[in-house]
Amino acid sequence: MSKRGFYGLLMFVFLQQDPRQIVEEAQRRSTSQSQRYEGTLRVLDAKGKIIEKRWQYDRVGSHGSSKAVLRFTAPAEVKGVALLIINHADKASDQWMWTPAINRERRIALQDRSTRFFGTDFSFEDLEERDTNQFDYKMLGEESIDGAACWKLQSTPRQSKASQYSHSYLWLRKDNFALAQIENYSKDQLVRRAHYTDIRNDQGIWTAHEIDMHDLKRNSRTILKVEKLQYNVSMKDDAFTLQALRRES
Amino acid sequence: MMLLRLLSWPYLRRHVLRWTLTLAGIVLGVAVFVAMHTANRSIFSAFDKTIDQIAGSAQLQVSAGEFGFDESILERVQAVPEVGVAVPVIEANVETKIPGQGSILLLGIDMTGDRSLRDYELKDADDAIIDDPLVFLAQPDSVMVTKEFAERNKLEVNSRVPLLTIDGEKQFTVRGIMSSAGMTQAFGGNLAVMDIYAAQQVLGRGRRFDRIDIRAKEGITVDQCKAAVKAALGESFEVETPSARGRHFEGLLRSYSTAMTISSLFALIVGMFIIYNSFAIAVTQRRSEIGILRALGATRGQIQRLFFLESITAGFVGSALGAFAGVGMASVITTYMSTVLEQTTGFAQRVTELAIDPKLIVAGIAIGVITSIFAASIPARSAARVDPVQALQKGKYQVLSAGENRRRRRMALTVSLISVACLFLSYSKLFFYAGYVLMIVAGLLLAPALTLLLSKCLRPILKQLLPAEGTLAADSLVQAPRRTSATVSALMLSLAMVVGFGGFAHSFYTSVGEWMDNALNPDFFVSPSANLVVRAITFPASIRSVIEHVAGVDQVQLVRNARVSFRNVPVMVLAIETEKVSGTVHRMPVAGTTEEMNRLTGQGKGMMVSDSFAQIHTVRMGDIVELPTPSGLLKLPIVGIVRDYSDLQGSLLIDRSVYTKWWNDDTANVARVYVKKGEDVGVVRQRVIDALAGHHGLLVLTNREVRDWIMKLIDQWFALTYNQIAVAILVAVLGIVNTLTVSITDRRRELGVMQAVGGLRNQIRRTIWIEAFSIGVIGLVLGTALGAINLYYSLGMVKRDLGGLDLDYIFPLAFVAFMIPTILAASFIAAIGPAESAVRGSLVEALEYE
Repeated sequence: MSKRGFYGLLMFVFLQQDPRQIVEEAQRRSTSQSQRYEGTLRVLDAKGKIIEKRWQYDRVGSHGSSKAVLRFTAPAEVKGVALLIINHADKASDQWMWTPAINRERRIALQDRSTRFFGTDFSFEDLEERDTNQFDYKMLGEESIDGAACWKLQSTPRQSKASQYSHSYLWLRKDNFALAQIENYSKDQLVRRAHYTDIRNDQGIWTAHEIDMHDLKRNSRTILKVEKLQYNVSMKDDAFTLQALRRES
Repeated sequence: MMLLRLLSWPYLRRHVLRWTLTLAGIVLGVAVFVAMHTANRSIFSAFDKTIDQIAGSAQLQVSAGEFGFDESILERVQAVPEVGVAVPVIEANVETKIPGQGSILLLGIDMTGDRSLRDYELKDADDAIIDDPLVFLAQPDSVMVTKEFAERNKLEVNSRVPLLTIDGEKQFTVRGIMSSAGMTQAFGGNLAVMDIYAAQQVLGRGRRFDRIDIRAKEGITVDQCKAAVKAALGESFEVETPSARGRHFEGLLRSYSTAMTISSLFALIVGMFIIYNSFAIAVTQRRSEIGILRALGATRGQIQRLFFLESITAGFVGSALGAFAGVGMASVITTYMSTVLEQTTGFAQRVTELAIDPKLIVAGIAIGVITSIFAASIPARSAARVDPVQALQKGKYQVLSAGENRRRRRMALTVSLISVACLFLSYSKLFFYAGYVLMIVAGLLLAPALTLLLSKCLRPILKQLLPAEGTLAADSLVQAPRRTSATVSALMLSLAMVVGFGGFAHSFYTSVGEWMDNALNPDFFVSPSANLVVRAITFPASIRSVIEHVAGVDQVQLVRNARVSFRNVPVMVLAIETEKVSGTVHRMPVAGTTEEMNRLTGQGKGMMVSDSFAQIHTVRMGDIVELPTPSGLLKLPIVGIVRDYSDLQGSLLIDRSVYTKWWNDDTANVARVYVKKGEDVGVVRQRVIDALAGHHGLLVLTNREVRDWIMKLIDQWFALTYNQIAVAILVAVLGIVNTLTVSITDRRRELGVMQAVGGLRNQIRRTIWIEAFSIGVIGLVLGTALGAINLYYSLGMVKRDLGGLDLDYIFPLAFVAFMIPTILAASFIAAIGPAESAVRGSLVEALEYE
């Protein structure tokens, strides 16, 4: 065995024993200075009705210190509506919605983070990027998702009031540390399942290009397709403020 | 029971008409009582239900009166650890501009969090696209309406609904139709939901909310949560359960419902006299029957029980019918009252279902039966005392003995003296009302003696006018004072009520007229709505400069008014530009000097209060009034008490600078505009309309329009009372019909003899008519006298318990003058039937009678 192979094996064995190290490694691998993509949202309700929306997503920074703006581009009725997310390392994010037609912002209160994100199956909380330090992790074993071997971990928020979920199960792919699936629980009930597919390597970062969020209470699902993904695009920090939203509306 | 079947039933069958009239008295009395209470209850119940439906699962509500508060308060509430969910709400009644739909409750909510508290279940699957808060929020013209409202107005998704906003009439798009459940049933379905931030814009609210609905965190009790929120916000805000708002509403309408209850009780008392009259007559007519029974061994107790049983039966049947009719009447009254309340208080409360209380029905029937028993007690006792020997002598009728008359007079005198004594102690509520009741009792006790006296006084006049008919009619009244006095008593009570209420109304109109002359003297008013009680829409202070720049405008005074809570009762606060207003308005001070109160109020060192506010809340000059404001507790001393009728619950006048500072709001509801001397008001008004056209959908109302609108409100407020008075008069007129019918039956033989000896039919007719006129005249005289006393007590009652209004005693001469021909005409109409019955009866039968 080569030296490199030996260290790889050592790291693998070490990571197997420490779930925090696994998620930190996954976080490290997905870290970028910025991100931009165009997303297509397809909401399929329990009765088969489909609603489609498009947005542009810009993020600067990463994880606990990132800022993101999500701006709807279609359909015409919602064009210009934006969501500003300021993530924090040690607490839940701050979120504001900008409505250009009335030219004003509204704060999304912490209490409302569990509500649906404007008719989709994502909640406002699901749009946050949280630092691994906000959770405790437990290794539950190994399972394969879509044929890929994954670690199955349990994450529990350290501050119970900071999240709507009492705990979540995470499946991280062993081969590239990409997230394959998350199941979110409220008390003992499974409320949402996010399934990550079409995982591609974009500029060295393994990224899912399709996320299928399933609301098990409503039995509806939202599929987010990520297109025109770019990492480390030049973005200005002051573009992620309410003033900037106002300016650009 | 056997006596009832063998004696009472055949008698009843022989006198169906009379018993029908008697029952009508009970029916009307109980019907009015049940109807008024059911209507009151239905409105309160609908309001409570509305609050519950709109509150959803909210356990607490934070508010600061109608002025609302800055939206930053929301974050302070959401930060309280004991709070689970806190969502902002804007609530406003806005005109729909759809013909026939009146106003609609516009509920501004924050869709992102509100679903945690309220259910917005949409009508059907096709509405899934509407069930998209993003579209709803992105388009500020979005509204959701109820299924009921949509069906009534044939609206579908994407239909347009015209609503009155700060920018005038504006078209909104229906983006969702809520199914019939929970909240959507509020206000009879006249409810629309829109985004709260869009609502702020269309209603001109700036960055303010009306209230915050709260649900406590799991594991936290409502009291714990309330205490925590109160601690976080301080005394400036009210933190109450949703049901507490119902109590506020009840407080607002207390005066109205008390007035309704009193007048319905009057109607019932009037009905009681009709019953008394019928039973007294029945005893008189059945004296021979009673005599035979007594001769056959029936005991006095049996006779008394027989009449009591009859009264119970009559009371029960009449009351049951009355209760039934009352429920029917209630739906009409409820609709009317809802409209009146909306017009006068701004609370649009549609009532879709009657809150029928079985207890009220039972109480109504019980009151009817007890009234019937009470009314029949004296006749039943008289029946039991009938002497069998005298009773079997034909042609003798019972008359009041001199002893009985003396006893009554003595009692009346004693009761009157006690009543007068109570006047000296009338600062106590108990003594005031005891004095009132005793004065009415004294009047009733004196009624038979006065009826006899007046009948005797009338005799020579009638004899002079029509020797034969006049004498016969007068004799009939003199010979049967009990029969006449009961009817006269009923008429007297009705008229006393008429004079009391009429006098109150007259005094009120006069006082309001004087107030309007003094306070409402601008040339025109600029307002977002023709309905000045709608305070939901405000306009920015910048409108002032737009109006001031119009050629010919001399002065503009901005007014902001809204209700705030004072001692848990909503009171009206008027923020005025004191310095300007004092130059144009010369209020009559009740306490304090005009110059001083204007100076101190203008400097923000005090407030003026209306005399009704001072009376209701027992405050005096110098007392400190504490008002919750978003900036803390505003404490100002009372520096003047003035007459002001801006609100029935009393009003507080503060300077606009105080308002803008403490409420952090510079909007206005009304702009009072004065035109320069020599300028044509109409021309300047048109210029103002033109100037405002590009800014806001504001209306420019002339002084006359505003005055007419106020007078219309007052008319509506009194209209129901007038209806009740009409019912009471109707009951009294039924009494006249009853009395005359019996009078004819009693004198059938006498009338037959008259015809037999050549008396003409017209002479007999005239005799009956004169008798009826005489009853009317006596009733008018006594009723007017008792009414003058009743007016005194009514005004006292109004001052004490019905709005605290201190009105001058003005005897309603014009009202009485109107009542004279009305009552005489009613008496004549009441006499037509009996008179025709008297002349058309068979002569042979009449002579064989008895």
